[in-house]
Amino acid sequence: MDEEPERAKRWEGGYERTWEVLKEDESGSLKATVEDILFQAKRKRVFEGHGQVRLGMMRHLFVIIDSSRSMEDQDLKPNRLTSTLKLMEFFVEEYFDQNPISQIGIITTKNKRAEKLTDLAGNPKKHLAALKKAVDSTCVGEPSLYNSLNVAMQTLKHMPAHTSKEILVIFSSLTTCDPANIYELIKTLNALKIRVSVIGLSAEVRVCTILTRETGGSYNVILDESHFKELLMLHVKPPPASSSSECSLIRMGFPQHVIASMSDQDAKPSFSMLHLDSTGEPGLTLGGYYCPQCRAKYTELPVECKVCGLTLVSAPHLARSFHHLFPLEAFQETPLEEYEGERYLLAWHVKKCSAWSVISSYMTHCTAVLAVCRLTGHPDVRWPDYKTSVYFSTRN
Amino acid sequence: MKLNIDGLLVYFPYEYIYPEQYSYMLELKRTLDAKGHGVLEMPSGTGKTICLLSLIVAYQKAYPLEVTKLVYCSRTVPEIEKVVEELRKLMDYYAKQTEAKNDFLALALSSRKNLCIHPEVSALRFGKEVDGKCHSLTASYIRAQHRSNPSQPVCQFYEEFDAVGRQVPIPPGIYNLNDLKDFGRRKGWCPYFLARYAILHANIVVYSYHYLLDPKIADLVSKELAKKSVVVFDEAHNIDNVCIDSMSVNITRRTLDRCQTNVETLQNTISRIKETDAAKLQEEYRRLVEGLKEANVARETDMYLSNPVLPDDILQEAVPGSIRTAEHFVGFMKRFLEYLKARLRIHHVVQESTPQFLKDIYEKVCIDRKPLRFCAERLRSLLRTLEIADITDFSAITLISHFATLVSTYSKGFTIIIEPFEDRTPTIANPVLHFSCMDPSIAIKPVFGRFQSVIITSGTLSPLDIYPRILDFRPVTVASFTMTLARTCLCPLIVGRGNDQVAMTSKFETREDFAVIRNYGNLLLEMSAIVPDGIVAFFTSYIYMENIVASWYEQGILENIQRNKLIFIETQDAAETSMALEKYQEACENGRGAILLSVARGKVSEGIDFVHHYGRAVIMFGVPYVYTQSRILKARLEYLRDQFQIRENDFLTFDAMRHAAQCVGRAIRGKTDYGLMIFADKRYARADKRGKLPRWIQEHLTDGSLNLTIDETVQLGKQFLRQMAQPFRQEDQLGLSLLTLEQLQSEDMLQKIAQIAQQA
Repeated sequence: MDEEPERAKRWEGGYERTWEVLKEDESGSLKATVEDILFQAKRKRVFEGHGQVRLGMMRHLFVIIDSSRSMEDQDLKPNRLTSTLKLMEFFVEEYFDQNPISQIGIITTKNKRAEKLTDLAGNPKKHLAALKKAVDSTCVGEPSLYNSLNVAMQTLKHMPAHTSKEILVIFSSLTTCDPANIYELIKTLNALKIRVSVIGLSAEVRVCTILTRETGGSYNVILDESHFKELLMLHVKPPPASSSSECSLIRMGFPQHVIASMSDQDAKPSFSMLHLDSTGEPGLTLGGYYCPQCRAKYTELPVECKVCGLTLVSAPHLARSFHHLFPLEAFQETPLEEYEGERYLLAWHVKKCSAWSVISSYMTHCTAVLAVCRLTGHPDVRWPDYKTSVYFSTRN
Repeated sequence: MKLNIDGLLVYFPYEYIYPEQYSYMLELKRTLDAKGHGVLEMPSGTGKTICLLSLIVAYQKAYPLEVTKLVYCSRTVPEIEKVVEELRKLMDYYAKQTEAKNDFLALALSSRKNLCIHPEVSALRFGKEVDGKCHSLTASYIRAQHRSNPSQPVCQFYEEFDAVGRQVPIPPGIYNLNDLKDFGRRKGWCPYFLARYAILHANIVVYSYHYLLDPKIADLVSKELAKKSVVVFDEAHNIDNVCIDSMSVNITRRTLDRCQTNVETLQNTISRIKETDAAKLQEEYRRLVEGLKEANVARETDMYLSNPVLPDDILQEAVPGSIRTAEHFVGFMKRFLEYLKARLRIHHVVQESTPQFLKDIYEKVCIDRKPLRFCAERLRSLLRTLEIADITDFSAITLISHFATLVSTYSKGFTIIIEPFEDRTPTIANPVLHFSCMDPSIAIKPVFGRFQSVIITSGTLSPLDIYPRILDFRPVTVASFTMTLARTCLCPLIVGRGNDQVAMTSKFETREDFAVIRNYGNLLLEMSAIVPDGIVAFFTSYIYMENIVASWYEQGILENIQRNKLIFIETQDAAETSMALEKYQEACENGRGAILLSVARGKVSEGIDFVHHYGRAVIMFGVPYVYTQSRILKARLEYLRDQFQIRENDFLTFDAMRHAAQCVGRAIRGKTDYGLMIFADKRYARADKRGKLPRWIQEHLTDGSLNLTIDETVQLGKQFLRQMAQPFRQEDQLGLSLLTLEQLQSEDMLQKIAQIAQQA
């Protein structure tokens, strides 16, 4: 194995039998059937999860990134580590975008040890910086599932019961080096209601199957980069909360953004509380969000107030979290015969809602795109995501 | 679900059915209708057992006069237990559906060791000890002595059973070994004798092959089984070897020494009895003059399963005069023994046919053919008369007497090979007389002759036509079934070259080649890096494995492999191996990952399943040809060529490929399971080898997976493992490889099913 991934050339990598991807479905080839099953699963995922399910909106998520020797494998380009970290950056951004009132922490494991890269925190910047830095680290030794889960558990077990406690493991190695019986740990995790999900980068490992099954998480193995990204994005959506989790009211502050112009005489530049620990920029600004309880100033939301511990969010943040709770109705497939349109093979419309049963011109345009996708047989049909759908409804 | 199999109502205790199961039952029904024998191959994990049980039970219920009994033969005790559990499920389903009271009696039978409930006897560790101890408590004369002398210990369980057990039939139901023991404890009856007695009127009997094939045991247990029985041999790919083993005798110097002691004991006992109870011997003599009339009558009226050790024509005659009196017989045995001893005192290998041997024995010690033939029968009678309690001590002389009878009975199908030393240790004198059976049909002939239907089935029986030939019977159905799959869950790959393009093969000329060994090492190393959890690797022999592992150690390959996975090695020691297996499974379970190095034809390759994560890949290093230099094998090959027109090479390849298939088949135990099957030898790519693999493996062996290099294998393997790791639920199988009743009845599905069975 090459020690320096940067210097590795394409021709040093493995064979890629690219022609096999193009294989026709006629002979019932392996590729086609498995992809068909995946496509079915994807469709199912889109359709299900509707109805009134309680979701764990406040999430505390630890991501464990395997940094063992096997991460130097070049089946993801340029290698597994770089590829994973890049996707993680994207994930962190998306995560905070969709779950503004949640927190994330990152743990790496290599050489039989686990190391906390970042602590649980609600600010994406710190995580992104840490991820960027981690690209240069070397991958050595074996990972330890036990140690890393243990590190995550030590923090998560102190989190309040109404939050959703999750661990996501990105596991590249096929072995784990554990100091004790991992099945005991799995029991503890289960008792603490910590959900562990695993994304495997190489193949299905038994212990991960058990781990996820016992703790109620999901276990997926990637096929390639795009599938990896897709799987990672599944974890952006908040998971259903267990029925036994507590309900409690949370105090939240909704600070107004105060904009002060330079011409204003009363305005004095001040430091944001966030800059207390960051040494970079000076951070003297005029405007900002002021905590309604203690008047501490912040430049960005959402954040937990450093002074009084109040969770500060803005209304749009909450609204964004909200669409997970009240998702749109599923689209319904209508064959051409039943639909009196002219040009399109298939049409889709939202069921039940009478206002939608007559499909507007805008909507038919959209279905045309879908129909083309169906015709080419490309399995990766992009469903209109929720944001766009909301947009449609305002048009009508 | 209730199925209509060709006009027969079959209750199937599951909601779903695999298409091949339906097809299998159709073929089975056809076989039973024709009252003939069948050879059926269906991959493991597709539910052969339940098909066999539900169809045959349905047949029994529908035509109680046509088929009265099902005799299900399996190999090991766990397998027997599994069959009984399936049967229980079936019967529960029957009870639920028909709401009628179950009137079926089904039971498992095993050795005394597994069934004994006597507190002292069952505590013994070895089967032989248990048998001996049991015999010393239950023999008829011991019990007679007990009546006059109550201090003589007897087994109270047997006494109780003998007093009442025979009159009261065991209530209908399904009994596995533990159920029998519980029942026995409750009633205070001996479960072993109860089971042996109950199999005569049971509807279903599940037991081991040996109860039918081994003449010594079959005579005791299975003699009176009804003619209208259906006999099933499950996992029967090795049945020819079982037959041969049951008829072969090996005699070493130790056997002879022990036999010598036996003879002396006999002599002493005889002289003692003569002083005290001469009438007894006189009585025996009278009986022997009358001959074996009883047995003859029984055979003529077709009541018993015939015994190959007891040839037909000796039943017509009386025991010859020269061995009729006890002293003469002992003298006779002594002479025979001395002759054998003299034969073992040799310095070169001798191979001769049975007539040659008989001629020689006549010239040297004047032993005729005729008394030799009665040897086994005569000894039995003597042991009975002398009231010898612990017959385990007499195993040596019993063995010799069997040998005497066999050698004088069969002029064909056997050979005698006397070797002065073992091949591996040519300096240490260890003479062995192999009396080896070369014709498996001798042992199984009575079974085919007696029972109306005999079904031979297994996951690997290819090529199908060879079994009827070597077992010498004419089947009415010969069929192979494939596994219908929603996703291709097996991935056979033939690796022919290393990355350096050196051909990989275990061929004799190149097997010591440094490059070949290194390439094998690299293959295992690379696979250990991409395959999760467990890998099982099979070598062709223990010696070859030892050589290779030593060489890998020197080259540092072993060290590299150990970075990825732990390594366990199968040895010839059973305890060591089971320990290694246990640790291996533990390592697979907790994510450490492990490799098990084992040997084709070894214990691991036959009885142990590597379900799911216990075997994600199987690597077969080389083609597992049997050791061709062995004289026994050479003699057998010659016999096969002369008698059955099977060429040596064909048989050797067939034998090698069935073991290879058996090894790689260990990893796939069902449709949700998946695994890589790597054949690491370029010779597998040849049509004559490939063509002998079972159809369900061949089907997935495309041209693209032949003669790969290690790199290509790794790429394909990686791809495969990722594909298989994708979530796979039952719904994905439904309609394709798993059917509901409605789906089964649709027209095109029935058409598809018709294509599953391939008639050979």
